[in-house]
Amino acid sequence: MRALRIEFLKIRYKKIWLIVFSIIIVQGLWQLWAVRKMDANDLVQGWMFCLYQFPVLNTIMMPITAAVVASRLCDVEHKGEMLKLLYTVIPEQKLFFTKFLCGALFMTLATILQVFIIVTIGSIKGFVGSIPMDKMLYYFVFTVLINVTILLIQQLLSLHFKNQMIPITIGLLGSFMGLFSLFFPEGIKRFLIWSYYGVLLLVGMDWNEKTRVTNYYYTSPDWIGFFVVIFVFVAVYALSLVLIKRREI
Amino acid sequence: MLFIKTIKAEKIKLRHSLVWIAFILLPIIPAIMGTFNYLQNKDILTDGWYSLWTQHTLFSCYFFLPVTVGVYCSYLYRLEHVNHNWYRVMTLPVPPIYSYLSKLIIVSSMVVLTQIWIGILFILSGKLCGLTESIPKELIEWLLYGVLGGTVICAIQLCISLVIRSFALPVGIALIGGIGSIPAFSAGYGVMYPYALLGLGMRANAPGGPIQCSIPMYFQNSMIYVGICVVFAYVWMKRKDVFAG
Repeated sequence: MRALRIEFLKIRYKKIWLIVFSIIIVQGLWQLWAVRKMDANDLVQGWMFCLYQFPVLNTIMMPITAAVVASRLCDVEHKGEMLKLLYTVIPEQKLFFTKFLCGALFMTLATILQVFIIVTIGSIKGFVGSIPMDKMLYYFVFTVLINVTILLIQQLLSLHFKNQMIPITIGLLGSFMGLFSLFFPEGIKRFLIWSYYGVLLLVGMDWNEKTRVTNYYYTSPDWIGFFVVIFVFVAVYALSLVLIKRREI
Repeated sequence: MLFIKTIKAEKIKLRHSLVWIAFILLPIIPAIMGTFNYLQNKDILTDGWYSLWTQHTLFSCYFFLPVTVGVYCSYLYRLEHVNHNWYRVMTLPVPPIYSYLSKLIIVSSMVVLTQIWIGILFILSGKLCGLTESIPKELIEWLLYGVLGGTVICAIQLCISLVIRSFALPVGIALIGGIGSIPAFSAGYGVMYPYALLGLGMRANAPGGPIQCSIPMYFQNSMIYVGICVVFAYVWMKRKDVFAG
């Protein structure tokens, strides 16, 4: 707990919250713009529309957000040449976990704000039906899980490379591939962690080419995909612990 | 002459750097995936080279090229922000604005190379897709306008990286700036919004037609934005006491 408090003290003037908050504001504005003209049919499908749109936005924005958060948390040590000193007072694994926890709190907060935005927009616009609590819960859990898994990968890279261009570029590439993979067949999607925002979608879309009408429908949660992400998380975490222990500072 | 030397110094700073990773890799992904998407939806995307161009550039112009430029600019200022180098830069017998201008020239030439690379990848993809029509003559024009739009983003991002000492934060701002270009573009204010000039110039969503604003206005706004950024950088470096660490 003390280590986590120190981590927050290190970043108190770094305004990490500002970039996370700005991204969420942008997503909220985007969503408000997307729902500005809704007819009766759209309002019936309002909740589904939001639960479809946010994962797509997350695919574009969240990998870069995670890369920025991880880089801000780790770059402070590189700039101050602090790792050598820090590892004499705190075990490497503990420092890694504390930094991860700090970043994960930001990413979780971002997802809570997203759920809040969806509920607020739904209430303001008058989406038909009550809030689909089970779907919201799934959305929250899935999004947090993917966010923290990507954050973990980024943190490993940001801590390993002094030059922050490499992790940021990898985050950017991930975001790129994740976005394009949304248009790819299911089999290809599953090979990229960045595309799991799309794999774990709770809503499907059916676009009729002739009538140009879009219909949304709920799908059951993809538990295989969910466990794949958990497996990736555990594997990357285990790998991180080995790598940071072995690395010479 | 001194200015030429400053540009050369910037070039030396980039030698053996890993910036080529971003330069080579980032345009390849939209090229591969855009081509794949084009092949998957050939029955809807019937406009040949023009359809392929939208697939290559639509997402890149709004999301990824601004961020790529953000990475370039952050990288260029990183050296100044570490190891107390600002003290050295500011005490050199070189006007500080030369440092900004030489960085702007270097990063703009990187944008030129990126645009050439995008063009090469586009032609290769088209040939691989089996497009038999001739390559659109407008390609050079799209890429040149893209250079100008990209230079505007370079000027802004350099200012942001000059002020903010972090590597990552300006990249995040570039992402937000790029995304903001979509509503600006949809509302018809694309030419007024600096981050949208890239997509507007490259005709990312309407490659078959003319540019969606008057050409003089496009040039005028681009120049105004670059001018504002240069003045800002000049005033900032002149007035602000450096903080190096």
